[in-house]
Amino acid sequence: MSNETISESFRKAGMSRRAFLKFCAAAASVLALSPAEAGEMTRRLAQARRPDVIYLSYQECTGCLESLTRSFSPGIGHLLFNDISLDFDDTLQAAAGEAAEAARMTAMKKAWGKYILVVDGSVSPKDGGVYCTAAGKSSVADLQYAASGAQAVVAVGTCASFGGLPFAAPNPTGAVPISEIVKDKPVINVSGCPPIAEVITGALLYYVSFGVPALDRHGRPVNFYGNTIHDRCYRRPFYDQGLFAHTFDDEGARRGWCLFELGCKGPVTHNACATTKWNGGTSYPIESGHGCLGCSEPNFWDRGGFYRPLSTPTGHWSGAQVLGGAAVAGAAVGVAVAGVARARQNKKDDHKPDHKPADKDHDRNG
Amino acid sequence: MTTSDTAVLPGDPHVGVPDKQGTASDAERLDRAMHSFLRDFGANNAVYLESCVHCGQCAEACQYYVQTGDPKYTPIWKIEPFKQAYKREMGPLSPIYRLLGLKKRVTAAELAEWQELIYDSCTMCGRCTLVCPMGIDIASLVGSVRHGMEAAGLVPHDLKVTMDRAKTEGSPLGATPKVLKERLAWMADEHQVEIPLDLDKADILVTISSIEIMKYPQSIAALAKVMRHVKASWTFRSDGYEATNFGMLGGDRVGQRQATMKLIEAAIKVGAKVVILPECGHAYQALRWQGANVYGKPLPFKVLNISEYLAEKIAEGKLHLKTDTRSVTFHDPCQVARRGGAIAAPREVLHALGVDLREMKDTGAFNWCCGGGGGVVTIKRADPLRYRVFQIKMRQVDDTGAELLVSTCSNCRQTFDDGQAHFHWDKAAHSLLELVADNLAERS
Amino acid sequence: MGGGTLLDFARGPGMEWALAILVFGIVWRLVGIFTLKRPKDLAEPRAGASAIGAMWVIISRTWPHKEFRERVLHWEVVSYLFHGGYAVAILGYAPHILLIRALIGISWPGLPGGVIAFAAGISGVALIALLMHRLNSPVLRKISNFDDYFSWLVAFMPLPTGLMAYYHLGGNYEWMLGFHMLTGEILLAWLPFGKIMHTILFAFSRGTTGLAYSRKGAPL
Repeated sequence: MSNETISESFRKAGMSRRAFLKFCAAAASVLALSPAEAGEMTRRLAQARRPDVIYLSYQECTGCLESLTRSFSPGIGHLLFNDISLDFDDTLQAAAGEAAEAARMTAMKKAWGKYILVVDGSVSPKDGGVYCTAAGKSSVADLQYAASGAQAVVAVGTCASFGGLPFAAPNPTGAVPISEIVKDKPVINVSGCPPIAEVITGALLYYVSFGVPALDRHGRPVNFYGNTIHDRCYRRPFYDQGLFAHTFDDEGARRGWCLFELGCKGPVTHNACATTKWNGGTSYPIESGHGCLGCSEPNFWDRGGFYRPLSTPTGHWSGAQVLGGAAVAGAAVGVAVAGVARARQNKKDDHKPDHKPADKDHDRNG
Repeated sequence: MTTSDTAVLPGDPHVGVPDKQGTASDAERLDRAMHSFLRDFGANNAVYLESCVHCGQCAEACQYYVQTGDPKYTPIWKIEPFKQAYKREMGPLSPIYRLLGLKKRVTAAELAEWQELIYDSCTMCGRCTLVCPMGIDIASLVGSVRHGMEAAGLVPHDLKVTMDRAKTEGSPLGATPKVLKERLAWMADEHQVEIPLDLDKADILVTISSIEIMKYPQSIAALAKVMRHVKASWTFRSDGYEATNFGMLGGDRVGQRQATMKLIEAAIKVGAKVVILPECGHAYQALRWQGANVYGKPLPFKVLNISEYLAEKIAEGKLHLKTDTRSVTFHDPCQVARRGGAIAAPREVLHALGVDLREMKDTGAFNWCCGGGGGVVTIKRADPLRYRVFQIKMRQVDDTGAELLVSTCSNCRQTFDDGQAHFHWDKAAHSLLELVADNLAERS
Repeated sequence: MGGGTLLDFARGPGMEWALAILVFGIVWRLVGIFTLKRPKDLAEPRAGASAIGAMWVIISRTWPHKEFRERVLHWEVVSYLFHGGYAVAILGYAPHILLIRALIGISWPGLPGGVIAFAAGISGVALIALLMHRLNSPVLRKISNFDDYFSWLVAFMPLPTGLMAYYHLGGNYEWMLGFHMLTGEILLAWLPFGKIMHTILFAFSRGTTGLAYSRKGAPL
């Protein structure tokens, strides 16, 4: 809907070029870009048109959007009014109902092939898509249509990226990630439950500047998801020394020791929490004393429990039952085998020469 | 036993076919061996056969491996067919081994091939048992395997002949009751000492080995002198005198039982409270440790090795000895010391004699085998190998610098004698009993 | 995407099955041995023979008698470097301790990760040296079989995979961690069926000889 460039929009909003440059520098640092890349991003953003963005939500809790609105850098305000043209978001916008839907269709048609589709929440194809509908249309159909006119799709949040909470066992609605439905457009997964605000905005900004970023094997931007929490955790020295909190309020916890024993999934969770942190760098779960849930990873709800350490079994079996059963079974087999073996001994043991002087077996001497 | 050094060693491909007794087919032999093995696969043997981790340490304790460097003498390898058969037929995992074909059946050819490992190159000395980190009693496993070999008719001829003689004549060397009587009379006369034979009642039944009867009869006289000195109530019995047990050595369960029961029945007949075993290694094993199990109930008398009896009498103040200040080193017979537990007794006797005792570097339970036990000394084709391992003994003795070598087993003694002759060595093995008898301090 | 990863398998059914097979196999093998006929020893024990003397052999046989040391001690030391390093790496590392606690409820403080890595490294080097020895020694070449080599491999694999996981080497960390767990599970599942069962049998084989020989008055 906009023809002006981003830098023009900044000026229009009364911000100097210097402010624009500071904005770009801040964004580049969140993205961990090199100075050369940062300079390039500034140049491109200055000349880029504000892209149109359609934001659609399906099976989601709105947490991702809530997180996005807490973005400090670039702030949501910036994003909304300066960097992108958010043509549709049913939570943020005032309008609703058929008129709003019609406006959406108009915006999409006008920018057909050029808008960025941002999606949060998973979609539900099961049983004809009845479990998630809006205005009588299933989420799947809606997504397919919306994606067909997009230049790229950004799947925000773990639900959109991997299925998330709806996907968790037993997945009654047959929820699937966005990438299961959208196969012909680039899909950038910005996972997290929710993702860090700056990660969402940073990913969008990167796309606007440079296009699709380098993605890891789960389709997530490597800028933000390239390291694990464990790799960057400030409590790592305690992990290495073997100092762990055993409960949430023991001495170890008070001293800020490693939370591995309390179920922290940091070692297998890729995200920017340990560096970028939350709420403008205020803190992140581990710093606040709770282990990482692994919320930016597929299936994190079903990986054995948030408080079960990574090295422990996830099975829902009662250890005592299974091992007890195994022991009984083993004893039964052992007795059976020995019993058969002893029977073979006895069968051939007709006389017991130890109690009879003449042993017919040994009558032969050469 | 004058085979020259240049004769080929057992197991050399140029050596002849393994000895076989009887005309049974290979299949029959194998069947009899398996039949016998099955009987020996009890819980104790099973634990051992399951526990080997193939560490190879047993080889380092075995005189045969140490002297030749030939890995086939690795003790646990000597019982390999037994172990394979156990795992395939009897062990807890045996159904899996059989179903999946993971362990092959032992063959008659293998048993025959193993004959020289089980007999020629193992005296069941038990050093391997001492070193094994898993505590496996390999020596006793060899004893078990011999049951199967004997049942299959796969015993070395020389040993088998000796075993048969023991069964039919009552003595492996032809020392029949008649010969015994003659020798006792001769010794009694020559040494002017009473040697009771066939008394109806006595507190002590004394037994003797054919080696002493035939080769070292003077030790019988020595024994009689000692018994006179301590004023013991004792007797020999012509219906139960032979302490050796070639059945046990060769693996003949029937022969073993026969020899043991003779002694037990004779002891019961005379109402003996004590049975004394002579200077013989495996005699101690046969009666003291295996006798009750053959009998089926605890023995109704105490069993003492002669060295234990001597030590007892010394401790009781009944045996008085003159002092002999010579320097002495002591060879521990394997079956009495390491496998029998009578390690201290001979030393108590030597201490009472006042000798300058110079222990070998590896002594007591860790002493090296003379190489003649377990029936090996009877197997002529094994002589070259026996001379190789005997070199350890010579080195041990020479290293002590002692002037006198003493032991308390006649089989060791004859092995030492043969080795001495072969190597023109300057040391002879002396009998502890004879040393005591020569130094009795008679009082009034 | 949403499917089971190797790590999920290793933490889930892999662990469950491995532990079940471990317990099943151990009990089977032990019961199968000890329900065989046990000959009773009717010989009168030497005065003073005791069960304590018998049990002593279980401990004392851990170190070779001095008469044998010259010929066996060097490789026994290498073996202990392997066993000791392995034990430190397993029992001293907090994630492993937590696994044990999850299974049997007991735990103890762990050691720093660097110490664990060092112990695992020593263990691995020693294990390789032992394999070289097995391949070169005439005695060991003669008596070794499939079990020896397969058990070596099964015992070895957790070491490099654990070190690689710890140092985040070898690509995807999650996969390496899952693979490491899997190698541990293979070790547990294989344990009862090959020579690694000696971890449990040693007490029984030493004890049997200890009992027999302490009765004879020679509990060495």
